[in-house]
Amino acid sequence: MTSTQTRPRTDAAPPRPVRPAGKTPLYKKERPLWMLIPGGVLMLAVIVVPLLVGFFIAMLDLDQYTLRQWFSAPFVGFANFTEAFTNSPLLHSIWISVSLSVLVTAVTVPIGVAAAISTQNRFPGRGLVRSIYLIPYVLPAFVVGTFFRTMLQPQGVVNSILHTDVLWLNGSASYWALAGVMIWTSWPFVYLLSLAGLQAVDNEVHEAAALDGVTWWAKLRYIIFPYLRGPLSLAVIIAILHNINNFTLPFVLFGIPLPSSVEVMPVLTYIASFQSFRFGLSAAMAICSLVIVAIPLFVYLRAVKLDTGDDAGPNRKQRRADRATLAAAPTAADIDGARA
Amino acid sequence: MNRTRLKPRTLVGAVAVIALTALSLQGCAVVNGSGDDPNTLRVMMGADTTYPEERKQWQQDTAAEFKRTTGADIQWETYSSAQEELTAIQTSVISGQGPDVYAIGTTFTPTAYATGAFVEMGAKEWKAIGGKDQFDPASFGISGPSDSQQIGIPFASRPFVMAVNKNLLAKAGITDMPTTWDELTEDAKATTGDGRHGMAIAYADGFDPWKFVWGMAQNAGNTIVSTDGKAEIDSDAVANAYRTYFDWVTKDGVVDKAAIGWNNAQALAQFTEGKAAFFPMTTTTAINSFTDTKVDGKYEFALLPTVPPGASERPADGIEAASILSGDNWVVADYGTKQDLSFDFVKQLSAPKAQLEYYDLFGNLPTNADAAAQLAADNPQLKPIIDAGRLSKPTAFTGAWSDIQLALVDVVVQSIPSLKGGEVTDDQLRARLEAAQRDAQSTLDRQKNGGL
Repeated sequence: MTSTQTRPRTDAAPPRPVRPAGKTPLYKKERPLWMLIPGGVLMLAVIVVPLLVGFFIAMLDLDQYTLRQWFSAPFVGFANFTEAFTNSPLLHSIWISVSLSVLVTAVTVPIGVAAAISTQNRFPGRGLVRSIYLIPYVLPAFVVGTFFRTMLQPQGVVNSILHTDVLWLNGSASYWALAGVMIWTSWPFVYLLSLAGLQAVDNEVHEAAALDGVTWWAKLRYIIFPYLRGPLSLAVIIAILHNINNFTLPFVLFGIPLPSSVEVMPVLTYIASFQSFRFGLSAAMAICSLVIVAIPLFVYLRAVKLDTGDDAGPNRKQRRADRATLAAAPTAADIDGARA
Repeated sequence: MNRTRLKPRTLVGAVAVIALTALSLQGCAVVNGSGDDPNTLRVMMGADTTYPEERKQWQQDTAAEFKRTTGADIQWETYSSAQEELTAIQTSVISGQGPDVYAIGTTFTPTAYATGAFVEMGAKEWKAIGGKDQFDPASFGISGPSDSQQIGIPFASRPFVMAVNKNLLAKAGITDMPTTWDELTEDAKATTGDGRHGMAIAYADGFDPWKFVWGMAQNAGNTIVSTDGKAEIDSDAVANAYRTYFDWVTKDGVVDKAAIGWNNAQALAQFTEGKAAFFPMTTTTAINSFTDTKVDGKYEFALLPTVPPGASERPADGIEAASILSGDNWVVADYGTKQDLSFDFVKQLSAPKAQLEYYDLFGNLPTNADAAAQLAADNPQLKPIIDAGRLSKPTAFTGAWSDIQLALVDVVVQSIPSLKGGEVTDDQLRARLEAAQRDAQSTLDRQKNGGL
């Protein structure tokens, strides 16, 4: 059996709900927190425990000699971290990774946005063009790296087309070669998110802009870009993280050992682990990488306030504003009194 | 009564979940595989990208023979790189489960030994595989740190030699093979011209460069790592080796300048096109690659020089090292419960017939002495390669070798822009040797258990 509740109609605006003082707010009441247990356990097992083990390994002198009894490998405290910063190319690799990441992201954002805008309006073959745009993104990085490694050979296609004799896979030019290949593979991601952002622009907005005779630039600047701000922020942050963590492309393009101008963090960590067998040192390097990666992530999370629990209830600032409004608002009795 | 109909989306979702579950379960089955099956042997060996079909057929035939003689099955597992190989060993060592037998490269054997996860061969174990004396004694060079501490059972030998284009040498009036590095350089100069180069070298290869430097240094009496565990990279002998190797392309002009970006396969391609007289640092596995090319029937193998650069004869303390001791060893995991089966498997593949079949398919020379003798008798053209096997010397038996090898290659990798510029200056070379020396010594200093 179902019951139907009807709200009493009044001519006046409905009064704001009044919460009796001292009572638990609804968003805090009777929350089935126990339902978070499976997710929490999973998070513990998949993220927290490996992270703690990683920290532990970073404090061990773990190598091929101690691998078998790794739990009892010599404890060296922060020596691996000290060595990573003072006696390894880690700082150099951080610079290379971060600069490459920022450069590639800065170039891919305008390309991705332009590509999204170019396929926004309907035209014959739009689906095909959109599919072609995605090819660099859907190709496995290993395949892309192999193709470009062939094309960037001293006698390869790239030098033939450009009529140059540049050594792309070694020396200082290798930095630009890697940047170019990373740009080629990663701009479709920005394109995808931009396209999603453009889909969110209401048709009415376009119509209103057209009726008002807005120029294309003004429309782009004051209508489209504000809509894209959210998706683009997300695209930028994910692109930066992805570019910093890019392992496959430099590994396939240049092999090991890397030319020093493309000595990126992930490959350096890999070499420490699987070439030098310094598992403790590589774990320390990996943790340093994690910290580097966490900085832009933290900035993003703070910017979009994903951690404030908006779904559960209003944030502190909002709640404070609500309380002030409630205190100032007339009560139902006041309204009735006024009517009388 | 209400009848509920499944919506298409729900149906698709349900099918997807079922499919994923089935795949996951199948995945689990594959991962667990025969791990706990006492009647299935897990064997891990490197993937063969040159002869994949032959490898598949060989595995099937080997498994069938193994089934016939022991009643047990074989589950083959492969790795495609040294890193993948190490990852598999790492996982197995830590978890105490994994493949029962591994085929590992000779230079990787010291690292495997350092993990302490493989059976050290004693009298009982050697007997189980048909006896230690069935093998060529030279093939034990890198089985362990001493005769009594060996984990590697020799399986295949791939000594490095030169492939030589006989026609180009004849045109240049060269009748004898060079025996010194200087003679090789001179012969290469004499055969350079008309769009051809004296030598096909792969400067950007991840492995070739250190083998040249190692060989020349050995010939001069420098073993890269001394017996008391000191790195000897920042030395005149090693500097001289690098200088000779670099000068081929920068000064002598006997190597195509494009070769500074080549790997071994590209150098091989230059040789098979008939555009290079000498192709140093190749092995018998390349024989099939020479078939039906412009050099088919026009090439022969020769020993790499064993007299150091700048000398006409080997110094008193020089080492007659024609090649690194190269090939594959079997190692048996000591965590496994199927060691008897493991030794049966190794015994099967150590027999002369199996070793000769393996040579026919893949070009790897036998380590079984009888098989090697028969092969030499039947194929006189293989004499230089068999001689190279006899004159092969092991790299230093230390768990630090991988890092040292990387340091040696890194000197070349970081010098490539200078090679392109036409000159690696003495200062540049000295600075890179000092860096390599530091890296190598630091690795050696970190050794535990005396590096074993």
